[in-house]
Amino acid sequence: MKIMTCPINGPRLISEFAYAGELKAMPDPAQATDEQWADYVFNKNGPAGIKREWWCHTSSGVWFIAERDTSRDVIVRTYLYTTEVPRT
Amino acid sequence: MFTQHDQLKSSYDVVIIGAGGHGLAAAYYLARDHGITNVAVLEKGYIGGGNTGRNTTIIRSNYLTPEGVQFYDESVRLWQDLSQDFDLNLFYSTRGHFTLAHTDAAMRTMRWRAEVNKHFGVQSEAVDAQSVQEAVPMMDISCGGHAPVVGALYHAPGAVARHDAVAWGYGRGADRRGVEIHQKTEVLSIETTDSGSGPAVSGVMTNRGHISTKRVLCAVAGSTPRLLSMVGLTSPLYIHPLQAMVSEPVKPWLDPIIVSGSLHVYVSQTARGELVMGASLDPYELHATRSTLDFAESLSMHMLEMFPFLGDVKVVRQWAGMADMTPDFAPIMGKTSVKGFYLDSGWGTWGFKATPVCGKTMSHTVATDQPHALITGFGLDRFRRYALTGEKGAASVGH
Amino acid sequence: MMRLPTLPGEWIDRTRTVTFTFENEPVTGYVGDTISTALAAEGKRIFGRSFKYHRPRGFLSFANHDVNVMTQVASIGRSTPNVRGDMEAPIAHSKVTAVNTRGGLKNDRFALLNHFSRFLPVGFYYKAFHSKRLFPMWERLFRRLTGLGTVDLDASHRSTPKRYDFCDVLVIGAGPSGLSAALAAAAAGADVLLIDENRALGGSGLYARAGSDAVVAKTQALVSAVRAESRIRVLLSSFASGYYADHWVSVIAPEAMVKVRARSVVIAQGAYEQPCVFRGNDLPGVMLASGAQRLMYRFSIGPARRITLLTANAEGYAAALDAKSRGIEVECVLDLRATPGPDSTALMAQLTRQGIRVVTDVQPIEAVAGRAGSVARLLYRVAGVEDSVAVDGIWMSVGFAPANAFLHQAGAGMRYESSIEQFVPERLPAGLYACGKVAGAYSLDARMADGERAGRQAVSALGAMDSLPVAPVLAPIECPNHPYPVFAHLAGKEFVDFDEDLQIKDIENACQEGFDSTELLKRYSTMGMGPSQGKHSNLNALRILAAWRGDALGEHALTTSRPMFHPVPMSHLAGRGFMPERKTPMDADHAALGAVWMPAANWRRPEYYAVDGVSREAAITAEVHAVRTGVGLIDVGTLGKIEAHGSQAGEFLDRIYTARYSNLKVGMTRYGLMLDEAGVIIDDGVIARLAPECFYFTTTTGNSATLFREFGRLATWWGLPVGLVNLTGHYAAFNLAGPHSRAVLRTLTDLDLSDAAFPYLAVREGLVAGVPCRLMRVGFVGELGYEIHLPFESGTEVWRALLNAGKASGIRPFGVEAQRMLRLEKGHVIIGQDTDGVTNALEIDAPWAIKMDKPFFIGQRSLAVLAKQPLRQTLVGFQMPLGVTERPKECHLIIDQGRIAGRVTSVGFSPTLGRVIGLALVDPVVAAHPTLRVRMDAGVEVLLEVTSHPFYDAAGARQKMEVAS
Repeated sequence: MKIMTCPINGPRLISEFAYAGELKAMPDPAQATDEQWADYVFNKNGPAGIKREWWCHTSSGVWFIAERDTSRDVIVRTYLYTTEVPRT
Repeated sequence: MFTQHDQLKSSYDVVIIGAGGHGLAAAYYLARDHGITNVAVLEKGYIGGGNTGRNTTIIRSNYLTPEGVQFYDESVRLWQDLSQDFDLNLFYSTRGHFTLAHTDAAMRTMRWRAEVNKHFGVQSEAVDAQSVQEAVPMMDISCGGHAPVVGALYHAPGAVARHDAVAWGYGRGADRRGVEIHQKTEVLSIETTDSGSGPAVSGVMTNRGHISTKRVLCAVAGSTPRLLSMVGLTSPLYIHPLQAMVSEPVKPWLDPIIVSGSLHVYVSQTARGELVMGASLDPYELHATRSTLDFAESLSMHMLEMFPFLGDVKVVRQWAGMADMTPDFAPIMGKTSVKGFYLDSGWGTWGFKATPVCGKTMSHTVATDQPHALITGFGLDRFRRYALTGEKGAASVGH
Repeated sequence: MMRLPTLPGEWIDRTRTVTFTFENEPVTGYVGDTISTALAAEGKRIFGRSFKYHRPRGFLSFANHDVNVMTQVASIGRSTPNVRGDMEAPIAHSKVTAVNTRGGLKNDRFALLNHFSRFLPVGFYYKAFHSKRLFPMWERLFRRLTGLGTVDLDASHRSTPKRYDFCDVLVIGAGPSGLSAALAAAAAGADVLLIDENRALGGSGLYARAGSDAVVAKTQALVSAVRAESRIRVLLSSFASGYYADHWVSVIAPEAMVKVRARSVVIAQGAYEQPCVFRGNDLPGVMLASGAQRLMYRFSIGPARRITLLTANAEGYAAALDAKSRGIEVECVLDLRATPGPDSTALMAQLTRQGIRVVTDVQPIEAVAGRAGSVARLLYRVAGVEDSVAVDGIWMSVGFAPANAFLHQAGAGMRYESSIEQFVPERLPAGLYACGKVAGAYSLDARMADGERAGRQAVSALGAMDSLPVAPVLAPIECPNHPYPVFAHLAGKEFVDFDEDLQIKDIENACQEGFDSTELLKRYSTMGMGPSQGKHSNLNALRILAAWRGDALGEHALTTSRPMFHPVPMSHLAGRGFMPERKTPMDADHAALGAVWMPAANWRRPEYYAVDGVSREAAITAEVHAVRTGVGLIDVGTLGKIEAHGSQAGEFLDRIYTARYSNLKVGMTRYGLMLDEAGVIIDDGVIARLAPECFYFTTTTGNSATLFREFGRLATWWGLPVGLVNLTGHYAAFNLAGPHSRAVLRTLTDLDLSDAAFPYLAVREGLVAGVPCRLMRVGFVGELGYEIHLPFESGTEVWRALLNAGKASGIRPFGVEAQRMLRLEKGHVIIGQDTDGVTNALEIDAPWAIKMDKPFFIGQRSLAVLAKQPLRQTLVGFQMPLGVTERPKECHLIIDQGRIAGRVTSVGFSPTLGRVIGLALVDPVVAAHPTLRVRMDAGVEVLLEVTSHPFYDAAGARQKMEVAS
């Protein structure tokens, strides 16, 4: 089983973690057109590659960002959302 | 069975990307029903090597929405005649299909599906636990006491078939009608020009050279996002692995196909005697086909809850495919905003059974540049319009 | 065949015997024997029948892929299918039979198929029997023909434990290279786990002896050193079944699965000897030389009396010497090569000294069976001249296939090393190493050196993220592998795949038909798809494919290797199972009160309380009646229970729920819907403000864990400093409801329960029966009621106190079914029942709950889009006309002009109203009609009257206590 490193709890089995999809920037609801909003709600991040994703260490409730190469099942790095504001 | 073509031609009327069941079926019907034979099917790997050869071969039409039921019902009808059409035995075997319900909420969904199915003339019936026990007398319907079966959706036409043979049959039929199948041919880019009313397809670059074409059909399941990005489109598709495993052959003991959404199990026994078993999607996005031990462990655990006597039966092999999932559990098919770029995707965990009807409807769509009546509800633009299909309403496993 | 003289180190215990029957004949073997060796010791040579043609088969490899020796073992309590005779020990007094026969092994009626093999070419079944009308009949016949062993449908559940293990270096394979690797790694300070599928250390170092003790002595020295090394732990009779991500390896021990996490892994699994492909190569008596060596040295079985070695490498010459030294007559050594290599030449001298002749440049023609069905003669050709040799054993030693499945699974790259005609690793992932035969090292010294190197590397790079360059191949001077040991015969029966009975022409025909790539060939011919998964067949098939195409072997990809390495029983994979079930503190009390249970996510809840002599319907009706006219008590402790703290907790909830909470007064509650970003309803709950910076709220039972987690993500994402506490398991909760609820509660609390002090929708904290509780005056069931939340450990005490206090008022505990009816009478929706996976918040007719004028809530922007579109469906109430006795069921369809216009979502007989009422999600146009047409069971259609909902006390006067109780 894969090992994922929680920024707080260190390396743990990936079965202890929950995946919550990609980190998406939300457009301003007041400014976005209906079409832009639908794009935000439904569309995904496209081809395989290094993705920034939300993950949670479920037993401790720690949420963090994982950069993962989705073409190879390789976790590149993990960090807390709050300590490193991700580029968008 | 297939002709080898040493070189690509410089142009084709239609280029189909992906020589899985869907792509080859579209090629077959383009040639047979629409007289379009100047067609190249491009395949990065080998014929039927993707999800066509990795699924658990279940065929059924007991869906929830009118669009879904009518679409898959047409597919089942086509399936039943394919062996004779191809002069190739697909081992199409009607077994009956039980979707087990372990809660009253699941039972409500089964009734809903049964009622919609019956409305469209599809044989489905919500049955009680006793009927399940009579049909599968060896099953522990208490499921080890953890999740007693309260009833099921019984779908008599549920069937299995030899998955590889489907691709071969369509491939051979297309080949005989002049379609060129090019294996080990990877698409590197898709060229578009401005048609005045938006972009239009003009060509395809491959690792074996350039092709001019005005029509491209994309039938590549897990690779769809990459091809979409080549023409500047985005989609709600997300790719998760779907794993399966198979046992050593044993003498026939299980006739029907058994599915339990709650226990994440589906199982059938092949003509060779193997048990083919699957479960739900892997929990996170991945565009690769690696296997995991936890899959084999949890699937075996749930299998033994239903069939406790199988402890000594051995698993010989596990594998994975890449499922291209959609938010509403319905496919994404038809025309796109790029003229001449046609999409056959969003097949998630339900693509195999749709192979014939996809070929039929997509060939029509490509030949006439008009979406076939059976797929008008499945267009990519439905998300922009918030016009999702209701297939997710069933919220049961989709196999 | 015979039992050979005693040998030190043999695996059998000659002092103890074990008796069983095989095909109804008694067999006595020694403890330590396998089923096959016990049979062989009694002179039997035919152990099974092949899968397709039902040909008699005996030993082939004796390496856990003699699939033709699958047996059915019946012992006390269970009959086990597909037991591998070459591996499994006989169970005392068991009844063993060959699988896949009709009428027994000797007189297998399906052996007839052998004579029809000419008419059963590869792909045959694809080309015939496909009449739509007749196929079902054919299929029933095929299914009986196939299938190997029989599942015992009465076998009891086998519960198998699982263990975990951790090590620095996992060495898989305990032959000379693996032993050396383990020693080197331990010497470098690593904690080493060494596993081998055999029951003793040493591998081929103890059976490939070349008739001398030199190899054995060196190997035994390694074994002793390993035994003496405290840093090496040894696990025998255990095979690795799969290599998974991050060095996670499943090891199948006899009675348990061990999941090993290693920091690095050394693959020292050696190589599988491969058969020579010629006519009759499957006859009993024709076998791999290494298999014969294993039989002679491990089990002291002489698998023949008089043999010839059909060889193309020095290993064959060595095996001939071994046979001789164990007293088996070696008629001759037949070498396929024109010029034997230097190692062979050296061994040839020894053979010659012992009077054994060596013939070179041999082409086998055919192995011929004698009367007993096993081999009696080998026909061959030398320099164009046919010759033959009368033997009862033909041992094949023509080459090996590296056991590199795990290298593939781990993502290693392979290249073809033409000097040894073998695939070897080209690049290895970080932390993975290969040594010995799998890496191309064949001589004992080379294997030991290679093992040492791998063991050292595995420690030196522990924890490194990058892989080391692959070490150069320590290739032998003499090539161990014949490049094309394939000899076609006009009459066929040269077997490539013994599992599937595939012959040369099957492979060639498949190529001819266009299945001329590795994967297509495999799928069309089923080559390598049988239980031995191609271990003895993939390489030769690939050679035939390459030859057919005129390519070099190295240009063809090997077929993908996937777990399992050897087949694994499902009980090992399943383990003991872990299905936790949650119970509220009152669980035992419910049971004592007659609860009939229903599952609620991973909890169980009383559906209703059974009463002796009373039907389910009547019991539920009585529960409903109690709540409407007196007082009832229901356990609602399975609800998610969450606290949110902080100055921005209100804003946080504003963003999560459709209603507004930042302006909620302390001491009050408010209902809210939760949506996803597309506007679809996913949950609902009641939110109470306990203090300016403290909210307490509930979620539905099934969603509590995932929602609590999601709240954490949202708080992180939005940067809102909210403290979230999940109290679901810490708090018990029940709802005391009914016109007499206040009177009952008053006897147990000092709280002022007056409407003025504790109005409808208020929340108060105070003591109930001496226990600190949170009380919410909410009205899900539509009566005066108090939802009481309190510490889990006090749940039972207060529950009992309430039931006690309510005795005079006729209090009844009520279950989920009664609650469903009570809420239905009030027209309250149940999320997930009256809504589905696509129902959006505009469709349930609850505009009062959705505050579109808030700055933001999840789903709000999408609702704004949806609001511009015509409504897809809407929730309506209906009642059955009085006098109609049929009752629709939930999910029966609403039909309008022949099309589906909606469905019934909730329905039931309301004891209070005396009629059937329900809710339906319906096309809004149809919902405006005075009646709906519902299609019930058997297609009967009935009209329903559309009515307003709530059906009961529409003004909500009762829960607000505006009517006298």
